[in-house]
Parts: sequence; C-alpha cells; structure tokens
Amino acid sequence: MSSLSAISPARAAAGLGTASLLLLAASPAEAHIVSSRLGDFYAGALHPLMALEDLVQWLALGLLAGMQDPKRGRWVVAGFPLGLLAGVALTHAGLLPAPPRLFDGGGMVVLGLLLALAIDLPAAAVAGLAVLLGVARGSANIDGLDAANDVVLFGAGMLLSGYAAATLISAATLAFRRNGAGWRRIAVRAAGSWIAAVGCMLLAFALRAGVMQ
Amino acid sequence: MRRLGWAALALLLLCLGAAIRHPASAHEAAMAVLELRQIKPTQYIGKWVLAPTFDPGQIHPKFPRQCSWMDPLLECGEPGFVGPMSVDNIGSNLSAVMVHVIPVNGEMQSYTMSAASPRVTVLGLAAPTWQTWFELADTYVNLGIDHILLGIDHLLFVLGLIWIVRGGWRLTKTITAFTVGHSLSLAAATFGLIGVPEKPLNAVIALSIVFVGVEIARLRRGHAGLTVRYPWAVALGFGLVHGVGFAGALVSLGIQRKLLPVALLSFNIGVEIGQLAFVLLVLALFWAHRTLSASLPRWGAALPAYAIGVPASFWLIGRMIKLLTT
Repeated sequence: MSSLSAISPARAAAGLGTASLLLLAASPAEAHIVSSRLGDFYAGALHPLMALEDLVQWLALGLLAGMQDPKRGRWVVAGFPLGLLAGVALTHAGLLPAPPRLFDGGGMVVLGLLLALAIDLPAAAVAGLAVLLGVARGSANIDGLDAANDVVLFGAGMLLSGYAAATLISAATLAFRRNGAGWRRIAVRAAGSWIAAVGCMLLAFALRAGVMQ
Repeated sequence: MRRLGWAALALLLLCLGAAIRHPASAHEAAMAVLELRQIKPTQYIGKWVLAPTFDPGQIHPKFPRQCSWMDPLLECGEPGFVGPMSVDNIGSNLSAVMVHVIPVNGEMQSYTMSAASPRVTVLGLAAPTWQTWFELADTYVNLGIDHILLGIDHLLFVLGLIWIVRGGWRLTKTITAFTVGHSLSLAAATFGLIGVPEKPLNAVIALSIVFVGVEIARLRRGHAGLTVRYPWAVALGFGLVHGVGFAGALVSLGIQRKLLPVALLSFNIGVEIGQLAFVLLVLALFWAHRTLSASLPRWGAALPAYAIGVPASFWLIGRMIKLLTT
C-alpha cells in the first residue's frame, strides 16, 4: 500500500522538478511576446530557454562538460554554438529536416546517463556531442519559424544564447564540484539521473504518440 | 587578453549578422504620436502628428468601451473619454505610441504606450493622479530597458570598455562615468538645453565604438592608449554623446512638460537596468572562460578588436553616407 509519507524526499523533489519543467514548457507563446517586443534577435535568444526540450538538454550538456577535466569540457564552448549555427543554416537551406520528437527524449537519456555514470569522455567526444546536440536543437528551433521572422537575427540570438548557456553552466558546474566536498559531485550525478528520467518520460510520450498515429 | 575566450568568435558572428541587418540605423526606434483634439464635449478629432514609417492604419488603438473610433473621429458616450486605452500591435518596428489629448478647456494630457506597457488609463480632467504617475513610470522604465537592449551600438561601446579596463574598482569607476555622462546629456537634451542633429550624432556614436575597437587593437600591440590610461574620462566624454542619442526616443514623443521629470527618471532607470544586466552577463562570461581555461588561440587574439570595430566601421560609413547624401 502506498501513501504520501512513503514517497522519499528525492522522488518528491524529482517529481516537483519535472512538473516545474513541464509547466515551463507550457508557455510557447512567451517567445512571440518577446518577438513582438524586442524583435527576432531576442526571440531567437529566449525561444530555446522557454522550451523543455532545449532547457533540459542544454542543461545536461553544460553539466556533463562541467564534470569533465576543463581541458576536455571546454570544447562545448565552441562546439555547441557552432552546431546550432550549422543546424539553423542546414535546415533553413532545406538540406536537413528537423529531428523527430524521439530525439528530444533520446538526447536527454544519453546525456543524463553519461552524467549519472560520471563517464570521462575524450575531448573529441565532448566536442562531437556538443556539435550533434547543437545541430539537432538549431534545426528543431528554426523549423516552423514564421516567414515574417528574420532568420539571421533569430539564428544569431540563438547562437549567442547557446554559447552563453553552455559556457556559464559548464563553468558553474566545474566551480561547484571542484571547490567543495565529495557530495557535490554526487549531487551533479543525481541531477543526471533525473534528466535521464525526464528523457524516458518524453520518449514514452513520443512513442505513444507515434503508435496512436 | 587571450584568456578572455572564444566569446569574441561568437560575438563577431553575432555583430556582423546584426550589422548586416541594420546597416545604418542600429539605434533608431520608431515612435508615433496621435493627437486627439476635443471638438465637442463627446467628440475628438484624431491626427497623427508624428506618423510611423509604415501606414498608421496598421496601428490599432483600442479606446474605452463607451468610445467608438471611426478614424479620424472619436465619439465617446457618458462619462466621456476616460478609461483604459491600449494599442494592440506595438512591436519591434514601433517602440511606442504617444497620445496627446487636447481638451477644449484645460491642459493637454499625454499618455505613452509601449510594447511592454501597451495599456494606459485615460483620466480626463482628473489627470495626473497617482495612477498616471505609476503607469508613466512603468511605461518609461520598460521603454528604457527596450531602448538599451535594442541599441546594439551602445552595448558594443560598453563591451569595449569592459574589455579594455582591468580591475573591479577601475571598471566600476569607468562604467559609472559612462552612466553619469549619458544621464547628464540625456536630461539636458530632453529638457531642450542642448540639441544635436540626429545624423551627425549617430555618426559620432559609431565613431566612438570604432575608437574603442582601435584602442583594443593598440593594447594588444602593447600601446596603452587613452582609454587604458584615462578610462573614466573617455567613458564620461563618449557617455555625453550616447546620452543625447538616448534622448531621441523621449524628445520625438513631445511628452507633456510636467510629466517629463518622472518620464526621464524612469527612462534612465530602465536604461541603467538594461546596461547593468549586460555588464553582469559579460563579466559572468569572462569568469566562466577563466574557470574553464577556455582561451582564444594565438591567431584569434585580435578577434575582440575586430568584433567591435568591424560593425562599428560599417555603421560609421553607412551613417556618414546618409549624412552627406541626404
């Protein structure tokens, strides 16, 4: 028999975190408000930060990079924005279709597991992951953009936003785990497991939606 | 310098992209002013005294419920032209709409609507009340934030200062000097104490950014330029120029004189909020690059100077051509 008291604090926190993230995902109209107020550059910069798929994967990439040795982790600083740029350019040119929704959950599961298992990645793997994720997210964000939007400004905003997010999150993670007790590393790994769990849920939703169609 | 990171590469791409999209008008914001002159107790006649660059028919003002708008005639039932008013489609191509209400008897009242605050309350002869002041402050703080965030030329100048000036206290003094400079000239220009034609002013603003870009390049070669030796003086001097540029947004609206001090103060607070947010973001990125030891490669050490100097030169040439040919 289950009761509320039987739910562990960690699970409650995970549930709360997931619910909060889903709530954040429920406000895509915000991007249009930004677009009408400050134009396409800021719409591009803020659009990914208001969608669950971007928010969680960007966070996961930053955390993963911050858990690596700085010499390897710092490759996200260049790799991720360049990937975003490539994704925007290729999709806008019609050379790359937007990734299917399975990629969202799949990306979270892969990044979350790598983080939870604290796997040391070579520099090429960090850079490759950053570029791959950048291409996928750049492509997904530019897909379906209104014809009235300026793709160059939107893309430039997203590029800067991706660069800032990847740099700040990975540096903050590095500073957090380096300057303190061992529990900090465990906390970051726990965050990885939550990200993987959110990814599993999204994968299930995407698969179910696929079956229903 | 090299340790400040890959930021320059992203910024170079960003600035070039923005510069290409905004060749010579990085800082011009569209304003529109609608004058409503009372002709009968319940009727007003409307006229765009400052028309937007596009068809004013595309602006959709919404008047209080008891009023009906048949352009150019506004007809209001009881209790007259009072109540909430808004403009639906203020956007990136139109920063603000000001409405001047001119009664048959009494003083003119003005109300400003922006994208962030598209709704005001028309108070009739009772204005101004606390509500008027509050709405005014809300509108102009947001207008100030929008103005600095959309003014990529001002932000590039601030970025150049942050890049050149080392040390927390020294940087604080420099940014404060820039703030004092632009606040003084903003106030002076808004109150009509000084006036500089827009086109040469915009060219000088672009020149100030080119100057900072050149100073970064000189610093890289080991020459300590004026900005390195007297950063506060350069910041104060060019701050005075940039402040006159900020004032353009306020002056073009022709705001009611008794509302002007609060509007000016609120606008300046908005500008400072936007500037502070930008400075903090840049400093956070510098810290992040140091933490990650993510430095620029040797071949890229000159990138910051070009990231700032190239778009600024582009604007300078464009603005000079505009100045000389029109």
